[in-house]
Amino acid sequence: MTALAVATTAQEQRDLEQFYFYEARLLDGRRYLQWLTLLCEDIAYLMPSRVNVQVNNRERGQEGMISVERELEGGETMGCPHREENYLLLTLRAERAYKVNSWSENPPARTRRIVGNIELMAREPGGDVAAWSVVSNFHLYYARPGSDNVIYSGQRRDTLVVQPEGFRIRRREIVLDYANIELPTLGLFF
Amino acid sequence: MGLSVSELVNAEASLISRRCWSDPGVYALEKAGIFARSWLFLGHESQIRAPGDFVQAYMCETPIIMARGEDGRVHAVVNSCTHRGLPVCRADHGNTRRFVCPYHNWSYTVAGELVAIPQESEVQHKPDKTLLGLKQVPRVESWRGLIFGSFDEQIISLEDYLGDMRFYLDAFFDRFPAGIEFMGAPHRWVLNANWKLPVENQLGDVNHGAFLHSAIIPREAQDVIEALGHSVVTTPGHGATFRLMPEDAPVDDVAWGMEAVGSILGGDEVQEYLREVQARAPQRVGRLRARMKGLTYGIYPNLSFLWSNTSFKVSHPRGPGKVEYWSWAAVPADAPDAIKKILRTNYSSFFGPAGILEQEDSEVWSQQFLGSSIDFADDRPYYYGLGLGEEQPHPDMPGLVSVTANEFYARHFFQRWRSELLAAEGAV
Ligand code: FES
Ligand SMILES: [Fe+2]
Repeated sequence: MTALAVATTAQEQRDLEQFYFYEARLLDGRRYLQWLTLLCEDIAYLMPSRVNVQVNNRERGQEGMISVERELEGGETMGCPHREENYLLLTLRAERAYKVNSWSENPPARTRRIVGNIELMAREPGGDVAAWSVVSNFHLYYARPGSDNVIYSGQRRDTLVVQPEGFRIRRREIVLDYANIELPTLGLFF
Repeated sequence: MGLSVSELVNAEASLISRRCWSDPGVYALEKAGIFARSWLFLGHESQIRAPGDFVQAYMCETPIIMARGEDGRVHAVVNSCTHRGLPVCRADHGNTRRFVCPYHNWSYTVAGELVAIPQESEVQHKPDKTLLGLKQVPRVESWRGLIFGSFDEQIISLEDYLGDMRFYLDAFFDRFPAGIEFMGAPHRWVLNANWKLPVENQLGDVNHGAFLHSAIIPREAQDVIEALGHSVVTTPGHGATFRLMPEDAPVDDVAWGMEAVGSILGGDEVQEYLREVQARAPQRVGRLRARMKGLTYGIYPNLSFLWSNTSFKVSHPRGPGKVEYWSWAAVPADAPDAIKKILRTNYSSFFGPAGILEQEDSEVWSQQFLGSSIDFADDRPYYYGLGLGEEQPHPDMPGLVSVTANEFYARHFFQRWRSELLAAEGAV
C-alpha cells in the first residue's frame, strides 16, 4: 500500500470514478439486487478485523513499526476477520433486505456514501481478462431508526475485472478504521 | 434507586421490573453482589502459550492483563499502575518481558511484580517494591483451557462453580482430542444495551429464532427445535439448550458444525472432517451426548457459548446502558489450518459484529434497553412466566429440563441475581 498509483489516462480515471459513483448511488438507493450485477460470481469479499497491536521494538525508527498491515487480522492470518464472504452470502444479505420480516432493517436505515481518493495501483496482466487493483476511501453516513447515527470510515482495496460492458468487482477488501466496533452492524455493503 | 431489590423481581422471577436493565443503583449493586464475587471469564489458554504472552481482558469494567509468566503459570493482574493508575499495558495482546508505564516508566513483569522505579535513585527513602506490584486477581483457575478469575478469595473452586454444566460443555470439548483454541483477538462490539441482554438471549432464548430471524432461519429449523429441543438449568444462572437427535439420525443431521453456513459452502474437505469428528463422538463423549446438537450455553454471570456457530462470548458492562460485547471463533486445536479458516466463518458470517443473525439480536437488545428506560410504565414489569413450574429432573441428564419455550432459564438467572443483589443491598 505504499506504492504510487500507476499512470492513468484521464479517460481511465473518469471511468473508474463513474463506476464507483454509480455503485454508491445504487447502494444508497437500496438497489442491492442491481448492485449484485456489478460483482463477479467468484467474488471474494473480505473485511479484516483490526487490533491494537504491540509496537514492534525491532522496527523502531522505521515506518514498518506502526504499519497498518500489522493491525489487520485478515483472510491469510489465523485470526478472525469480520467478513469472508462469497457471492452466495452477499446474495443472502441482498435478498434479506426485501423481506418484510428483516426486522433490523425495517424501517430501513438511510445511508450516504462518499467515495474518494480513487487510485489505480496496478494493472494485473491476467490471462484473457485484464484486472486492475484499485484503492479508494469511503465515508458512509448511517442514520438508523431508533438508534444513534454513525459514520463508517474506511478504505477499499478492490480487484476490478475490465470487461467490455464495464467493470466487475472480483475481490474487495474493506479496511475499517475501527478496532472496537462502535457501530450497529458491519453487515452493510461497503 | 427508587425500588428495593425485593420489589424489582418477584420471588418466582416471573415478573421483572424494567429498572433491572437501566437503573444506575441496580448496576452498583451488581458490581458488589455479582462481579466482585463470581468467577469471571478471562480467556483461553491457547491465547497465551509461551512465557511472556499476554492478552487484555476485563472483569466488569476493570481492565485485566492475563499473561503467562516466566514461571509458565497463568497470572491475572489489574492493568493499572500503582503509581498513578495508568494502564501499563496498551496493546490488546503480544509478548513481552516487561510492562513499562508510560507516565514515569515504572516497570513490571508480566506477572505484575514491580521491578524498577527510575526515580528511586534520586530519593533517600526507597519504596518496598514487593508491596507495590500490580494488584493480583486473587483467584485464577482454568478448566478445559477456559481461564477464569475471581476477586473473591473465598469463592468455591471453578470446577464446583461450573458444577453440572461441565456435563453439557464436555459434550463439546471432549469431542476433540486436542481440545479447542481461540482464533486471534476477540471482536469487540460496543452496543447501547445492558450487559444482561446478550446474556439472557444466549442463555436459552432460542424461541425468538423463528420470529426475529424469520428472514433467515427457515420455519423447519424451528420445528426441529420444538420437536427435539431441550432446555436445561444445572445451577441457577447456568444453562444450555440443545436438540437431542434421534438414535438413527443420519450423521449429517447430527454432526457438530454441519448446519452452519461456512461448512455448507466450505466443500467436501470440511464436511468430511466434521463427519469424522461425529464418528468418534459416541466413544469420546458417550452415546447420549453424541446425539446432542447444541444451541446456546450460558455460564453465570456473563459468558456464553454458541454450538454450531462456534463462538465464545463475554458481555462486559460499561455502565447500565452500554456493553462491550466480545466474541471469539473457537475451533478444534488439531484441525488443519485450512479447515480452521472455514470453521471460523461459521461464527463470523452469522454472529459477531458482521453477523447476519446477530445484527438482528443486537438491534433488539438496544430496543429492549430503551423499553427498560422509559417512564410511567413501572406498573408493567416484564412477564417472565412462560412455562412456570414445568421444568423437571431428567432420568439421564443432570439439572432441571424442559421444552425450550419454558422461560425457566431466565427465571433461575434472575432468582440468583435477586438473591445476590439482596445480599449486597444488605451489606451496604
Ligand atoms: S503513573 Fe505509572 S509510572 Fe507514574
Ligand atoms: Fe438471535
